[in-house]
Amino acid sequence: MATKEMKFEEKIKELEKIINELESGNADLEDSIEKYTKAMKLVKECDEQLKNVEDAIAKIVLENGETENLEVEK
Amino acid sequence: MKNKYLTVEALTKYLKFKFDSDVNLKTVYLKGEISNFKAHTTGHFYFSLKDEYSKINAIMFSSNNKKLLFTPTEGMKVLVRGRISIYEATGNYQIYIDEMLEDGLGNLHIAFEQLKEKLSKEGLFEQVHKKPIPKIPNRVGVVTAATGAAVKDIISTIKRRFPICEILLFPSLVQGDNAAPDIVKKIEQANDHDLDVLIVGRGGGSIEDLWPFNEEIVARAIFNSRIPIISAVGHEIDYTISDFVSDLRAPTPTAAAELAVPNIVDLTHNLNQIAIRLNESIYNQINFKKLYLDSVKNSFVIKNPMIMYENKQQKLDNIIEKINQLLSYKIERKKVLLNNLKSNNILLNPINLYKPQKLELTNIISKLELLNPLSILKRGYTLTYIDNKIVKSVDDINIDTKLKIKFYDGIITTKVEGKEVSNGN
Repeated sequence: MATKEMKFEEKIKELEKIINELESGNADLEDSIEKYTKAMKLVKECDEQLKNVEDAIAKIVLENGETENLEVEK
Repeated sequence: MKNKYLTVEALTKYLKFKFDSDVNLKTVYLKGEISNFKAHTTGHFYFSLKDEYSKINAIMFSSNNKKLLFTPTEGMKVLVRGRISIYEATGNYQIYIDEMLEDGLGNLHIAFEQLKEKLSKEGLFEQVHKKPIPKIPNRVGVVTAATGAAVKDIISTIKRRFPICEILLFPSLVQGDNAAPDIVKKIEQANDHDLDVLIVGRGGGSIEDLWPFNEEIVARAIFNSRIPIISAVGHEIDYTISDFVSDLRAPTPTAAAELAVPNIVDLTHNLNQIAIRLNESIYNQINFKKLYLDSVKNSFVIKNPMIMYENKQQKLDNIIEKINQLLSYKIERKKVLLNNLKSNNILLNPINLYKPQKLELTNIISKLELLNPLSILKRGYTLTYIDNKIVKSVDDINIDTKLKIKFYDGIITTKVEGKEVSNGN
């Protein structure tokens, strides 16, 4: 699965699903390790996304549909 | 004659009884201007209502004034409903107010109630239509005024809580006659973008200021939005039609931003928890398999593999024995059968089988010999043919006809010289 294209919320949902599967203990070991590897990759991606704080963007959509960066004084 | 003097109390009680038993004074609708307004520390309101010519004292208890949608001020024109009675301590008559509206806004209130009822009947407020608000949005849209406290509150709250989120502002008029169509346009414009959630609202103001959010076209635009909408109009106490029809109502613009995005600190914490749980679960699973492997390794069978084999060997032996028994039994039976056949009479004297038939055949042959026409020729009879057909009557024969006459030992050819028909035999 192309995890880069998943939304953050979808990733968290996928992670929760994997955890439940792993914690149920029904899967065989190879399957579990594969799932674990995938989950840790997702965790890393989410973590990077959360740390990427300086890229907060606010834009204003003009009448003609074009966008401009928006500066809001604090 | 002695005059009867009343106490002041008795008179006041009598007058109060008169007031209280008067049907017309039980429910009075009154309009006037507020003066000498005083909110007591107990929460009750004391003031007067007056017009150009007259004045009446008024009291509104806190149990009733809590429901007010506005704060009464000096000089405000109001419409009230209440009852008239006498306060015995001062002997003043006054109005005890149950309900109070701002005068001039009466029409707006009616319009509000009517629209609310209409849309409610259409089912626009029903829970089934409420779209879920995503927990972790990538892009948040905002329809509000480009300047003012609301937009600042929303953007700064989102940036503080969830800075990785993108914000798209659709600046809109939020008060005045042109506001409602503009809000509709901006909600529609926002729906052309890939947004996870849309905040629609404005900061606090008078009921007239907030009015665009009570317009039917705005309500319908909110209802028709593909993107889930959080409404945030005015302050906590302000309720608009937009609030009823939106997917989620926020009491203020700041609250709307808090409802729209998660706190990044919480998310990071959750993510760490997820990583810990993942590690624990995989460790537990590996550990469990290891224990299982150990238990298998130490099992009696693995340590004494001959046991598995011995059992099987015994079983195999049993089977072979059974097969042998079955086979010898069958062979024995066949032998008996064979011996029976061997002693059979017919097999021993097969000629007996066709002796009667042979006798019969000899009879048939001698009979056939008797019937053979050629054997009759031996006794002196002949057969006469014309062109290879047997002649049975002299009628078939003319003078000079060529005849073939067959004897038992040969054939002659001859010509007819005469013919005589014999009558009878």
